[in-house]
Amino acid sequence: MKFDLDAVFVEHGCAGSALATRILRALPRHVPVTHVADARAVPRSASGERDPFGAGKRRMVIAQRKTPFLMACPAGSSSFACCGYLVLTLASNCPMDCSYCFLQEYLADNPDFQVYANFTDSFAELDRLIGNARGRSFRVGTGELADSLALDSLTSISRDLVGFFAARENLTLELKTKTDEIENLLALDPRGRVLVSWTLSPDAIYRSSEHLTAAPAARIAAARAVLDAGYGVAFHFDPLIAYPGAERDYILLIDELLDMVPPKQISFISMGGLRMTPRLRGAARSRFPGDPMLCGEEVLASDGRFRTFAPLRLNLYRTLADRFRKAGAEIPAYLCMEAASVHERIFGAPPSRPAIIGERLARG
Amino acid sequence: MNADEIDAQIRELAAGRRLPPSHLARWLAMDPASRAAMLDIARRLRLRTGQLVTALETLEEISVREHVTVAGVLDRPEIRRIAGGPGSAPSRASALLEALRTLRYPRLKKMQEELRSEVSALKLPRAISVDLPSELGSDELTVSLRVRSAAELAHLLEALARSRPGLARIIEMLGGKK
Repeated sequence: MKFDLDAVFVEHGCAGSALATRILRALPRHVPVTHVADARAVPRSASGERDPFGAGKRRMVIAQRKTPFLMACPAGSSSFACCGYLVLTLASNCPMDCSYCFLQEYLADNPDFQVYANFTDSFAELDRLIGNARGRSFRVGTGELADSLALDSLTSISRDLVGFFAARENLTLELKTKTDEIENLLALDPRGRVLVSWTLSPDAIYRSSEHLTAAPAARIAAARAVLDAGYGVAFHFDPLIAYPGAERDYILLIDELLDMVPPKQISFISMGGLRMTPRLRGAARSRFPGDPMLCGEEVLASDGRFRTFAPLRLNLYRTLADRFRKAGAEIPAYLCMEAASVHERIFGAPPSRPAIIGERLARG
Repeated sequence: MNADEIDAQIRELAAGRRLPPSHLARWLAMDPASRAAMLDIARRLRLRTGQLVTALETLEEISVREHVTVAGVLDRPEIRRIAGGPGSAPSRASALLEALRTLRYPRLKKMQEELRSEVSALKLPRAISVDLPSELGSDELTVSLRVRSAAELAHLLEALARSRPGLARIIEMLGGKK
């Protein structure tokens, strides 16, 4: 396990679960384990008072999820051209600590790192989904409120997921990560139903802002390895940060990627500019006061978020899109949390409806 | 003046201006040379509370962006010119904030200048307004006409048609095309 935990709490009723058994067996002995009646009653860490969010990342709570696992992507909005992504919430929070991460706002009131012992209940939800929409395909990801693979060496959830999705024609699983934790995946047969996606950033952003993540070169090497093992691969250039010199660095990063992963074998790419609500920006800057990536040329946009001023942001999108275009393969691409008009400017055509994009990305 | 005396004077000035405690804390957390340089300029330009808050925030951000101290920023020729130059304290205070903003958002400022110069080169009649998006926060250009007669409308539409290539260039620039 690469990530340190300060404590593990096990909710009543979860102690005998397969997930808790796996975790407790693999957990280093020095990590204290406490059994609690209710996950909501887990005491706050005294040492984490100055940074409760950071402390929450090191406190795992094994709990029952009482609400549905499957939901529409929380980033979705009628103002944006969305990608039809469905989110399966099997965990909440992440042991890595990116300075720009939206979870600093989204989970501010509930920062403990929760994993859900009853995660296999989500399979029934997924079966209902495809049962009610025969003939349609869906792309479902576990990497929205948590990194899909960060603690896979501890939880081995990927084994259950790959097994389930490999047997479903109309479902594609996307495991989104910034790690190189792929050992479990390499031993499984995804039967074309699973893709692994990496968020990629130039070294400057990785060093400045993406704490505890795998280096970009290690992410690309891991992508090559899972590709060879039969998985699809995709890449998220999100958040794109327009620091001075970013254009050159992103081109070098793409060149490095395409040297390892042929463009024809990339399932899709996505791009999204750095965007922060005022509350998120305040939280991020207070936790990472010295990070220059949080002091870029962002202005308050009409959606209430700080974004890089439009011409600079759109120029960076265009630079990346052109570089992929020149690579000679039509790689499906979409923009995250951008208006349809921006999509049209960058790709030269209006975006399709979210359900259609989702289906296209699911079918590969 | 030693560091304790400078801090005492910063506290006194902050109390007089009712500076929010969080901003006072940020000021006092700066290195000694930066604390003193900030005090000096705040006094010389008689910065008001809002101006002081903006200056502190902008200077902090510039120092993080450029890995320099606040004192280093305040020692730049363009800032020294404003601090020691002619004009009233309020006008120099406004000039200081504008100069800091240019340092904080260099590419935005440059782009705004280029776009304004493109708009002005169109030489459109006064009844046509071409408004750039606020802070270039979006890629949308607003063009509005003020007319009182059909003849006036025809005249303005002709002027717009003549300016079409220039307007198209501005729209492309807003969309990030170089």
